[in-house]
Amino acid sequence: MSAYQEINVQTPFALKVLPVVSVTVFFAFWQFVVTTGIVPETMLAAPTTVIKLFFVKLFEADPDGALLQEHAWVSIQEAFSGYFLSLLVGLPLGLAMGWFNVAEGLARPIFEIVRPIPPVAWIPLTIFWFGIGLPGKIFIIWIGGLVPCVINAYVGVKMTNPTLIQMARTYGASDWQIFRQLCIPSALPMVFGALQIALACCWTNLVAAELLAADSGLGFMITMGRRLALPEMVVLGMFMVGLTGAVIGLAIDQVEKRLLAGIRR
Amino acid sequence: MSEKNCQQPSVANETVGQFTDRRPLTLRVVLTNRWFLHGVSLTVFFLTWDFLAKSGILGGGSSALARPLEVLSQLDYLIDNQLAELSLWGHLWASTQRVLLGFTLAALMAVPLGLFMALNRYVNAIVKPLFDLLKPMPPISWISISILWFGIGEGSKVFIIIVGTFVPCLLNAYNGVRLVEPELYDVVRMLGGNRRDEILHVCFPASFPAIFAGLQISLSIAWTCVLAAELVSARSGLGYIIVQGMNLSQPAMVMGGMVVIAAAAFGTTMLVSALERKLCPWKRKIAGL
Amino acid sequence: MEAATQAQTVKIDCRDVSKTFIQKGCQEVPVLERISLQVQENEFLVVLGPGQCGKSTLLRIIAGLETPTTGTVSLDGREVSGPGSDRGLVFQGYMLFPWKTVLGNVEMGPMLCGLPRNERREIAMHYIRLVGLENFEDHYPHQLSGGMKQRVGIARAYANKPKVMLLDEPFGQLDAQTRVFMEQETERIWQTEKRTVIFVTNNTDEALFLGDRIVVMEGKLPGRLQTVHTVDLPRPRDLTDLHFLEMRKDLIDSSVLTL
Repeated sequence: MSAYQEINVQTPFALKVLPVVSVTVFFAFWQFVVTTGIVPETMLAAPTTVIKLFFVKLFEADPDGALLQEHAWVSIQEAFSGYFLSLLVGLPLGLAMGWFNVAEGLARPIFEIVRPIPPVAWIPLTIFWFGIGLPGKIFIIWIGGLVPCVINAYVGVKMTNPTLIQMARTYGASDWQIFRQLCIPSALPMVFGALQIALACCWTNLVAAELLAADSGLGFMITMGRRLALPEMVVLGMFMVGLTGAVIGLAIDQVEKRLLAGIRR
Repeated sequence: MSEKNCQQPSVANETVGQFTDRRPLTLRVVLTNRWFLHGVSLTVFFLTWDFLAKSGILGGGSSALARPLEVLSQLDYLIDNQLAELSLWGHLWASTQRVLLGFTLAALMAVPLGLFMALNRYVNAIVKPLFDLLKPMPPISWISISILWFGIGEGSKVFIIIVGTFVPCLLNAYNGVRLVEPELYDVVRMLGGNRRDEILHVCFPASFPAIFAGLQISLSIAWTCVLAAELVSARSGLGYIIVQGMNLSQPAMVMGGMVVIAAAAFGTTMLVSALERKLCPWKRKIAGL
Repeated sequence: MEAATQAQTVKIDCRDVSKTFIQKGCQEVPVLERISLQVQENEFLVVLGPGQCGKSTLLRIIAGLETPTTGTVSLDGREVSGPGSDRGLVFQGYMLFPWKTVLGNVEMGPMLCGLPRNERREIAMHYIRLVGLENFEDHYPHQLSGGMKQRVGIARAYANKPKVMLLDEPFGQLDAQTRVFMEQETERIWQTEKRTVIFVTNNTDEALFLGDRIVVMEGKLPGRLQTVHTVDLPRPRDLTDLHFLEMRKDLIDSSVLTL
């Protein structure tokens, strides 16, 4: 393998410009299609309408009953409660399952039963149990985030270097000591992967939960947009969901970079 | 506790075996045996379920949870009788149809596009920003706009599935090509191949495992999407069964639907895994679930 | 007798080859400086040098995977302008296609040339037999040991019938005993089907065991040719022979190492 790689110092101009052109054409086409009436206004809203609604919703509670930031805040609260709960339960469970035979023996069958059930499927049951309120939604989000946490933590522990384990044994370390001092730090990169994936899952399931049974939140706003035949509200809701999810994902990325600065993945 | 030995492939000029210690059968050995623990766990699980359902602890009294046998008898009932003119198999087939259609369409579009994006810088520059813009929006959030566009028929459900499965398929195809060992291209060049040979004989085969991983992820997402779409508006399908159960306050029906959809999702994942084992025999498995 | 030996043709001719890499930040890294080398037909040339001295880059330039900044490399009088099937390369990291069996890997070259199925299978089996892997043609690379994988690499390069074989530290990842075994195998294979070989290594014993001529490169960048030793001991060489040991001492003493 060559020791050095020749790096093109100059990216072609076209490659720098194309992304911008592409996005601009996309929005222009979208605006065009709606303004000229090719797609009726009941089906799709122009980007300008969406942006107008964005600013309006920051100050007016009509027509769905709350300001934009109130919706967003409710959604974020729900999502994070469920998310942190799923981290709290899922990560230790997965780590324990990866190392302790007893933990895996007991937890695995239940996990394998629960795992293929899409979190959305739990919604009617939670309505039975908790009604249409916060606890039900948090339950859905919690179940959704549980699976990736357990899987990633499990794989992270399983991927511990067996030579290091053998070395620790020669020092007379007990099972618990090896687990705490060796397996858990080894599994950290996978655990951080879990943080990202679980967040995406939690966020998706939040929207699902809110679509079906809610009275506030971004998912609720999307549903109201459909019921009131206001596609701009639907699009605004979708966009806000995407934006918030992306921002939080970026934040976790930054935290990970700081904390795992020295570890090579 | 002894570490489990991973299965090692046979290496021709070494003898490799799986070493198992012969230990005396003490109580400790029995108690820590995997299968024993599995059995204990499942027994406790079903007993707890039955107890919770019977005693009505989880609010709502008897309409909160159905006992395991009740769920089974409900499923049996649905097989023999019809709910909204379809038996259980009919509903199952309705959901499976939508999943297969959406999944196939999305895969047929996403995988070539992902490969193309990874191979051509200009296509990448055009498509990637749009993709990054649309990626963070969860597929379920598209349900409302899909209903606005396609009504409450098959089209809107298939559309949601396509939206949901598109992203992982494309992402995995894209990364599958990007992560190919670059020296493999050198090998093909030295054997007299040109760019077309590079793509055909290195890019495609090397990205197969990644594409299959993408297909598996997409399939689970497809089942989630179809369920969500059916929960919102449907006249048939497993989601419809669950919604009916909810409307009629019959937890047995709800749980029956959950069980069937879990089994269906599991079954299709197993199918794709089996297909992958057939087509990619060189892919080694790391310890995992 | 004299006339016969003088009829040897020059196979590879490197003239004033230099290579400078541009790292990010526009920093220039000179890797090779004015290398001039001639390789005779059916000669086993060894390029010896410690790590990071540019010898792999030199090999890659001859292979055509890199272009020299100045200077030319010609094969049989024609300038080398890119990779091609007239030169075969054996990689340090084996680089076998993991999705193909041993047979599939070795067949790769003939397949890219468009040969029909039974012909290329025959060629592939011939070379698989040559390297001693007869019963393993249906194995996948992950089922083979390191030495076997490298033998597949050699068979694959040979099967394309190149004019020149280039080997880039092929045994660097093997343990010491397998390495000795592979050196003997290489000797045997080369004696069975003679080719021009350029072999890059950092191991003095290996160089003396295999090479007709040893080109020693300096131990620091930019890489320059230091000395050229001709080894005319009878083959196969005995590592305990007195002359062998004398040459070995010469070689080790004359290498300049800077860390």
